[in-house]
Amino acid sequence: MQVEVSRRKFLQGSVALSVIAGTSASVTNLLAGHDEHEAEGDISVTTKTSIEKAENIPFLCGICVNKCAGFARVENGVVTKLNPNPYFPKSRNMLCARGNAGIQTMYDPDRLKYPLIRVGERGDGKYKRVSWDEAYDAILNGTDKFKGLKQILDEEKDNRATIGYCNGEGLSKEGFEVLVGEKLGTPNYVDEISICLETTLGGYVNTIGTYGEADLNNADYLIIAGANRAEAIITPDTMDMFKRTKGRGLKTIVLDPRFTSTAAKADKWLAVNPGTDLAFVLALTYVALSENLYDKAFVEKYGVGFEDYKNHILSHKYTPEWAEKITNISAKDTYKIAREFMAARSPIYYQGRRSVFSKNDFQLRRAMALFQSLSGNLDKKGGIVYGEKLALPKEDINMPMYAQVKSRFDKEGIAIPAQKTGSWIVFRNMVLEGKAPYPVRVMMMRKHNPMSGVPNTKKTEEFLKKMDLNVMIDILPSDTTMFADVILPEASYLERTSPVASYGFLEPAIVMRKQAAKPLFETKEPEVIYKELAEKLSKPLWEITKKYDEDVQDEIKSRGEEKVYEEDGFNLADPWEKPVYEQNKERIVEAFGEEAWKILDEKGVYYPNMENYHKQIDANEFQYYPEDKKKYTTRKDKLKLVFNFKNLAKKGIDPMPMWKDEWNFKVPEGKFRLVTGRHAQFTQSGTTNNIMLRDLISTNYLWINRRVAEQKKIAFGDLVEVKSNIGKVQIKAYPTEKIAPNQIFMLHGFGGSSEGMEFAYGNGANDALLIEDKIEPVYGAAVMHETDVEIRKV
Amino acid sequence: MARYGMALDYKNCINCKACEVACKEENGVLLGADKHRIWVGANEVKGEWPLLDIASAAFLPSQCQHCEEAPCQEVCPTHATYYDENHVVRVDSDKCILCSYCMNACPYDARYVDDRTVTVDKCTFCSDTRLARGETTTACQNTCPTKVRTFGDLDDYNSEISELLRTREHFSLKAHLGTKPKLFYLT
Repeated sequence: MQVEVSRRKFLQGSVALSVIAGTSASVTNLLAGHDEHEAEGDISVTTKTSIEKAENIPFLCGICVNKCAGFARVENGVVTKLNPNPYFPKSRNMLCARGNAGIQTMYDPDRLKYPLIRVGERGDGKYKRVSWDEAYDAILNGTDKFKGLKQILDEEKDNRATIGYCNGEGLSKEGFEVLVGEKLGTPNYVDEISICLETTLGGYVNTIGTYGEADLNNADYLIIAGANRAEAIITPDTMDMFKRTKGRGLKTIVLDPRFTSTAAKADKWLAVNPGTDLAFVLALTYVALSENLYDKAFVEKYGVGFEDYKNHILSHKYTPEWAEKITNISAKDTYKIAREFMAARSPIYYQGRRSVFSKNDFQLRRAMALFQSLSGNLDKKGGIVYGEKLALPKEDINMPMYAQVKSRFDKEGIAIPAQKTGSWIVFRNMVLEGKAPYPVRVMMMRKHNPMSGVPNTKKTEEFLKKMDLNVMIDILPSDTTMFADVILPEASYLERTSPVASYGFLEPAIVMRKQAAKPLFETKEPEVIYKELAEKLSKPLWEITKKYDEDVQDEIKSRGEEKVYEEDGFNLADPWEKPVYEQNKERIVEAFGEEAWKILDEKGVYYPNMENYHKQIDANEFQYYPEDKKKYTTRKDKLKLVFNFKNLAKKGIDPMPMWKDEWNFKVPEGKFRLVTGRHAQFTQSGTTNNIMLRDLISTNYLWINRRVAEQKKIAFGDLVEVKSNIGKVQIKAYPTEKIAPNQIFMLHGFGGSSEGMEFAYGNGANDALLIEDKIEPVYGAAVMHETDVEIRKV
Repeated sequence: MARYGMALDYKNCINCKACEVACKEENGVLLGADKHRIWVGANEVKGEWPLLDIASAAFLPSQCQHCEEAPCQEVCPTHATYYDENHVVRVDSDKCILCSYCMNACPYDARYVDDRTVTVDKCTFCSDTRLARGETTTACQNTCPTKVRTFGDLDDYNSEISELLRTREHFSLKAHLGTKPKLFYLT
């Protein structure tokens, strides 16, 4: 085997770690990029761990959605190292690069350190340091620069829906929903779901009753389409999958418009045209049905409308030859894959996560779930499993009822509007276009960065500027934070104990994040912020409710003010009477007993029989549950596979997945289809200021086909302007054969506009400036891969 | 007293760089690509879209090979480079004069200059951090999502690494140079 080992040829710190095959010019460019960095001086931010004993505090990683478990090594109050926790079945004794780099997020020099009040204009970054009480007071009463909640709610006659709010995922998200949604009483919530995997969840749940978990430890055939598990890590899928690829038990077919690190581990990579996966799945289905390869007994027993679906697929003649013209995947490959899939012992068409690609995404997910169903490989070892979850006692929230509150309105163009989480794009655009039936004047925001995450950044900026009051709770001054009037600095995930969480599926467990170090500077844990803010707002806003709410007025007449205020939930702070740690203890002791709490408190993980089940197998591997205790089969006769979903037709949605010619992939001459995605060293825009990760991936590059770049005389590192119908960015080029001639790719999350984030500011390009704000018709989720762009060398 | 080595199930590697970060955080290594003690080698895939040569895009984790016949140790004029009692190739920063002979001699390009200590530095198998505390894994092994690495005592017949090397085919990097690396790549 020929192996190249020189570190200088494997230069880190750039997308093109791989530019060995490139010209010497491109290597020089790489080095040039590096020299700039070195000119700043060597950066010493790591701490060598000592040889002394130290505290090891169990924590749950908060750097992405996975919530892997670890132990924080704490020496004299300083977190010096994060190590994996071998007790948590989901994260399987590992921490990824981002997990390890979490220390740098906690000790980021650009952390929000003190409460801030805006004294300049929105976006100019001029803030005044204030005390926590002054900050809460500014939210309530405003300043000479902005109005406060009291005035706004008075002017809106206690219509709480004038408050919009948003929050990205995380363990303290629910508390924020309680504070703003249930206690302050507004329905106008938008979160990450409508810019993420809403159609995937919806498609799967409505078809097979779960999104499920792919048992990649035991599957033997995998089609993984548009999911990039080597770079977009999902635990335990990533760990289970790649121990078995490359001829080691899991035959792997990767569909992706670009050649990813996942494709590098595949047996076959199919460069599917963006947005056409559905045609591929329909063709696979056609082969399975026309050649009678499917599990007849299974679909007859559990299927709803199976014959309809069979006739539908066959009569539409969704043949591999038909699909070939749409997908760029040969009919021969499609036949082979369909036959292999159906012949395999445990085949999985991986559900995928990530954003919505195209307008047909809901139907794509339905078709995928149905193709999986045809194999019969559901609810069993090696298949898509339903699993189990350990139930935690419900926390009762005493939710006040406001008579004056109006209902949410972001339903334009949406068949099935999500009641709780709405649609970011439709909500924002309707407010901007004056289509909201009442004024939305406030945005309460936490740990969410729509300036980067929601397509069409300009509109998000206009939307934020239109508000009378913007409040942000976060740990770093993100692009969105720069439009806040009041900024409340939160403790990072290593500085707080979070509400316990239950992780389900094959090997269920309860997990707890414990505070590893005291909050730095003047930051506070989110639940403390919720409590204090609620205390500040409670009585003054109660006065407004009393003034306008006739129901409340009647209640007061019959029961007296104090009773109505306390008993009917108008005391906004009552959910946070006890600190999180104590609440956790009460809930765990109630559900599982004292001993369970002791284990959870010490190890950060608990599940029944853990002390007997958990065993170390070797230096790397652990058993969490014995084989016969894993929850492979939990549904049994309750399985239901909805082939023909007739009720969808009533909403104007096809009851069975079908292809429409308007979805054919075509890019106008001279343009390129913009594709975006992730990298294993970054989590969206949330980690772009992490110096350790920045050291690994210094910026985002524009992937452009090498031959096209040659024609356009674009070399590695050249600055290129990328322009769509809604905006333009400049970004350095990376010519490569890993992408089609009519497509370009850039990593999501770069191009920060906040000067408060030194390392992220102006680094690379923000794809949300380019991606047009289109939605898919079922939930109104943002469609990420339907924007065409022009490029030119600058 | 042990003879430490490492086996790498390198086909598991997904180039996620968890090992690189864990190494830097554990051992207090400076930032910068040229300060890595360990790294993952990746090549630009060969071929033209869409006919790409998947096999050419393999990932190869690498680091100091802790050679039994280490060229870096042979050329060191001040004996700064030495074998410790566990056969780990170490550097005594008091003796290092930064002549960089070792950097040139190393066929694996595994050494770099730490500007703070003004020493040519390298992988220590976490000897002065984790092993010194009695732990039995290196930071890179412990954190790896796909469990590429197994570290252990080659002289202990019962160790996991000995078992792996007895039962799995493996190769060493640049074995023809006679350096006798103690890193073994499992096939």
